Amino acid sequence: MTTTHTPTIHLRGVQRTFASPDPEVGEVRAVDGIDLDIRPGEIVALLGPNGAGKTTTLDMVLGFTEPTAGAITVFGMAPQEAVLSGRVAAVLQTGGLLRDLTVRETVELVASTHPNPDSVDGVIDRAGLAAIQQQRVQSCSGGEQQRLRFALALLGDPDLLVLDEPTTGMDVAARHEFWASMRAEAEKGRTIVFATHYLQEAEDFAERTVLMANGRIVADGPTDEVRRHAAGRRLSARVPDDRLDAVLAEMADLPIVRSAVIERDRLVVETNDSDEIARLLLGSLGGTDLEIEAASLETAFIQLTRTGGAS
Amino acid sequence: MTATTLNETLTTESDRVRLRLNTTYYRLELRRIMRDKVTLFFTVGLPAVMYVIFGASPDYGDDPIRDGNVAMWIMIAMAAYGAVSATTGIGGSAAIERMQGWTRQLGLTPMRPAEFVAVKAATAMTVAAAPIFIVFAIGALTGASAPLHVWVLSALVLVVGAMTFALYGLGFGLALRSEAAVSAAGGALVVMAFFGNIFVPLNGWQLLVAKFTPLYGYVSLARRPLTGGNTIDPETGDLIPEPLWQVLANVSFWTVAFAILTMVLVQKGRGRQ
Repeated sequence: MTTTHTPTIHLRGVQRTFASPDPEVGEVRAVDGIDLDIRPGEIVALLGPNGAGKTTTLDMVLGFTEPTAGAITVFGMAPQEAVLSGRVAAVLQTGGLLRDLTVRETVELVASTHPNPDSVDGVIDRAGLAAIQQQRVQSCSGGEQQRLRFALALLGDPDLLVLDEPTTGMDVAARHEFWASMRAEAEKGRTIVFATHYLQEAEDFAERTVLMANGRIVADGPTDEVRRHAAGRRLSARVPDDRLDAVLAEMADLPIVRSAVIERDRLVVETNDSDEIARLLLGSLGGTDLEIEAASLETAFIQLTRTGGAS
Repeated sequence: MTATTLNETLTTESDRVRLRLNTTYYRLELRRIMRDKVTLFFTVGLPAVMYVIFGASPDYGDDPIRDGNVAMWIMIAMAAYGAVSATTGIGGSAAIERMQGWTRQLGLTPMRPAEFVAVKAATAMTVAAAPIFIVFAIGALTGASAPLHVWVLSALVLVVGAMTFALYGLGFGLALRSEAAVSAAGGALVVMAFFGNIFVPLNGWQLLVAKFTPLYGYVSLARRPLTGGNTIDPETGDLIPEPLWQVLANVSFWTVAFAILTMVLVQKGRGRQ
C-alpha cells in the first residue's frame, strides 16, 4: 500500500485541447487547467453536463490520452504504468465488448490478462451475472452489458475504480441494483471515482463531488455542500407593472438570490431557498401566479461558471 | 497440445522481456472463428472446392512440372487463396474490434500490446493453416504430386507469408472504419488473386502487370519448390525462368507497405475512438 501522503489521483494544471473538425474553430479546449487530488478510500463524483470535460479527464487518468499541459500521476506513477500494474480498473461508457462471446467467456478472457485474477465465478456472482453467464453479449440488454463491464473491472481486485457514466442506458431498477453492488465494492476500501450527469447519483453515492463545467472545476467539496450550489430552484411570478423595478431591485439584493431577471413581464428568480422567496413574493411583494421549478443542472452550471464558481 | 507447454513463460534474463502466449485468449479466439460458419466456409470450403474443380478434375492436372504435376501447382494456389482470405479476415476483425472499443477495454488490463499481437499472430497462423491443411490433404488424395520436400516447403511459405495479409486486412479496416470495408477487403482479394497468377495462369502483358501485385510474390514463392524458379506459359506449357530477387522484392515491398500503412493508421486512431 502507498502511504496516505501519496494521493491516489493527482492532477496539476491539466489541460487538454483537441483539433476541431471545423477549421474555423481551430482548437477545442476540453479540459482547461484543473487541479485535483483524490485520496485513498475516497468516493468522488465528477458531476457535470455533457461536454464538461469529465470523460476527457477520466481518459487522461486512465492513460488513454495525454494532457496537452500539466501533470497527472496515479498512485504516484504515470497513468499508463498504474494501469499496467493492475491497481486501476475502469468501467467504460459504451462499447468495449466482443459481441460474439458469451458473458462468461468475456470474464474468462479478461481474467486471463491479469497475473492473479479474482475467481471468475466469484466476480460473476458479485456483478449479478450468474443467470446470464451463458448468454452471448450481443443479446444482453444495455444494463446487463454494463454489469459485465463492471465485472471485468473487478477481476484485477483494483485499488482504484473509475466509472464513466456507468448507468447510461439503464432503467431505474437496473440503476438501483448497480449502485447496490457498487456500494458493496466501496465497503472493501476501494477508491471510487465516477462521472455522472445525474445529481441524484452523486447525492446517493459520493461523499465528495467535483462539479465540472466547460473544462473547469467550478465546485469541489462534500456532496451536500456542492448540491446546494447546483440544485437551485427557479421561481417565476407576475408582479404589477408599476412595482416591477422595485421588486426586482429588492430581490437582487437578497443574499439567497442567485439571479433575478424579467422575462416576458414575469419576474424570474433563481435561488437555493425557494420557500423563503415564495413567501416574500406572494406576501409583501404582491406577486401572483407563482410557478416553482427545479433549476436544471445545466442552468446551475451556467450560473456557476458565469459567477466564477463557488469556493 | 497441452495448455501448460504453450503457456510456458519465455524469459530473457538480460532485458527481462516477458513473452507469454495467453492460451485462454487464443482458445477463445479460435472458438469465435468456429462460430462464424459462413466465413469458415468461404475460407476453408471454397478453396477446397475450387481445387477439386480446377486442379483435380481436368486432364491437364497430370501434366508434369519438373518432379511434380500441374494439379500440385493449382493446389498450392488454392491453398494460398484460402490462407490469405483467412488472415485478411483476422486482420479486418481486429480493426472492427478496435472501432468497437475492445482495444480500449484491453488497454485497461495489465496485458501489454506485444501479448495482444502474439495472440492475434498465433490465431492468424492457425487459421491460415486450416485451409492449407485441408486443400493439401484433398490434393494428396486426388493426384497432386511432388517430392515430399516440396509439400513441406510450400506449406511453410504459405503459412508464414499469409501473415502479410493480416496486415492488409487490418490496414483496410482501419482506413475505412466499417464492417463492410472488411468484407470489401476480402472481395478485393479475388481481383488480386486473379492478378496474382492464382486462378488462371497468366502470360504476356497480364503477367507483367501481375508481377507488381501483392499476391503474386507470395504465391510464386510458395510454388518455387515445385517450379524451381519458373513461371509456366499457359499456351505452350513451357517453363520460363524467373529470378528469385523479383519474387522477394514483391513480397518485401508489400509486407513493408502494409506494415507502414497499418502503423500510420494506428497512430492516427489513438486517443478517442
